[in-house]
Amino acid sequence: MIRNLKEVKDNNFDITRSADEVRKLSFNDHVCLGCGICESTCPVEAITLNEIAIDSRNRLSNDIYFSGHEKIAQNFHDDFDVQRVTVNESKCVLCGMCSGLCPVDALVLTIDGVPIREIDAYPHYNAFSEIDDDECVYCKRCEVACPRDAIVIERVLPDRADLVTGEINVDDDECIYCGVCEELCPAEAIVVDKETGKESIVIDKDKCVYCLVCKKSCPTNAIKAICRACNYGEYDLDPSKAVVKGNSVIDSELCVFCGWCEGVCPTDAAKHKKPFKGSIEVDQDKCQACGACVDICGCNALAFPVSSGPGSRLDHIIAYDDYCVRCKACAKACPNDAITVKRTEIDHTPTNSATWTDALNAIKD
Amino acid sequence: MPKHIASGLKYLAAVKLKDAGKSHQVIADELGVDRSTISHYLNGRNLSWNSIDVARTIVELCPRDFLKMTEAIFEEPEQSRKIVNICRESNFEVIIEDSCIGCGLCVSACPMKTIKLESLTAHADSIQCCGCQLCSDECPTNSIKILEIEYD
Repeated sequence: MIRNLKEVKDNNFDITRSADEVRKLSFNDHVCLGCGICESTCPVEAITLNEIAIDSRNRLSNDIYFSGHEKIAQNFHDDFDVQRVTVNESKCVLCGMCSGLCPVDALVLTIDGVPIREIDAYPHYNAFSEIDDDECVYCKRCEVACPRDAIVIERVLPDRADLVTGEINVDDDECIYCGVCEELCPAEAIVVDKETGKESIVIDKDKCVYCLVCKKSCPTNAIKAICRACNYGEYDLDPSKAVVKGNSVIDSELCVFCGWCEGVCPTDAAKHKKPFKGSIEVDQDKCQACGACVDICGCNALAFPVSSGPGSRLDHIIAYDDYCVRCKACAKACPNDAITVKRTEIDHTPTNSATWTDALNAIKD
Repeated sequence: MPKHIASGLKYLAAVKLKDAGKSHQVIADELGVDRSTISHYLNGRNLSWNSIDVARTIVELCPRDFLKMTEAIFEEPEQSRKIVNICRESNFEVIIEDSCIGCGLCVSACPMKTIKLESLTAHADSIQCCGCQLCSDECPTNSIKILEIEYD
């Protein structure tokens, strides 16, 4: 009899089978959406989904109902010590079906250290998310919007001095060496010698900030100056002209392909593709606005409407169809069966295995 | 004693190979013993009939017991695989059904290294199968059927 070894650490665990090949199934609770695809497809019924969503609803106070809290789910997972998924190690055969069908990287099977998503024989979802550095303006809107904190944008700001550019010249014929510009110059870049016969004006271009105070104060319009910085005119989103550089990283383990990054991106830098196509609908007649779905949703695709002032009752739930990954965790969590999620299309690489094909078809509506 | 039984099994293997028309040298290389020892075996010398009797009894056990006994007698798994393959009395056909999930338990369970995983499904080389059925015992989806081949 070949036995599995289970190692539990915090809310994560590893199940290992060491024989000819070493198979290891790792569960990462902070990545799990609680969708239950693993539970429904496990061929040996080794997986149980824990109904923590229901518990979380009981923990929520009325204050939260009325305040329109946005990131309840995250705070809640920090101080809740139950795993979303339990795998019975004596039943598990480490076939990897849960890992292959998990829309995120919550369950990962590795064979001799290689995750199955890197092994061609196993089917993979054709889902991705990426940020094109050529298009990115490093505005960080995606970093803020990402419900999983999967995006890190590092921006490198240019030296301020490098942005202060312009031209300044004095027309000696016009200048009367009055010295008004020297007195007003905030950068002390102008020196005027007023002594008769030796009159001169010198502008130190290294000190000049092109504020144009001298030009505006000159009584004879002798100073010609232009600021290049403000000459750009209106805010320009052409990434090639952007002066801010940087780099962007999407943590592929945390990303759930919800598409918030693409939704908020002001340029065409962020792109994503979801593993499933489908729809989400909230039946407003059945919905009691308890917030269980808002808690469980890993994509912030469900929310209370923005509060219209203190004391206003948040009496319904809004579903953002664009940002839903069709994982169905909300539909499972909803005590009133008010949410209908449909997975109509699954985009995955082909597999020769009949059982795996059946399993993939089984999660389709 | 185990050494004597091992010699007995090697003797039986040598006889089988001889019947298959192999030369002494080929048999010696196959079994990893001296050519002169093979010659002695095949001329009925240097070996007690007792050892041969015990060895014959072991070979006639059910396939799993034969395999387990041979594994216990030979320290090298490679050698016991060879002896089992030469001495076993039946041939088997391994059928792997479509319900295979590709968990790889059978690959690890098979002492004869008969089964390999290819594109998420187990594939068996029936020629190597000793009929022990350890793989079908492990299979979580009962996808492996082992059939004994009968020759009329």
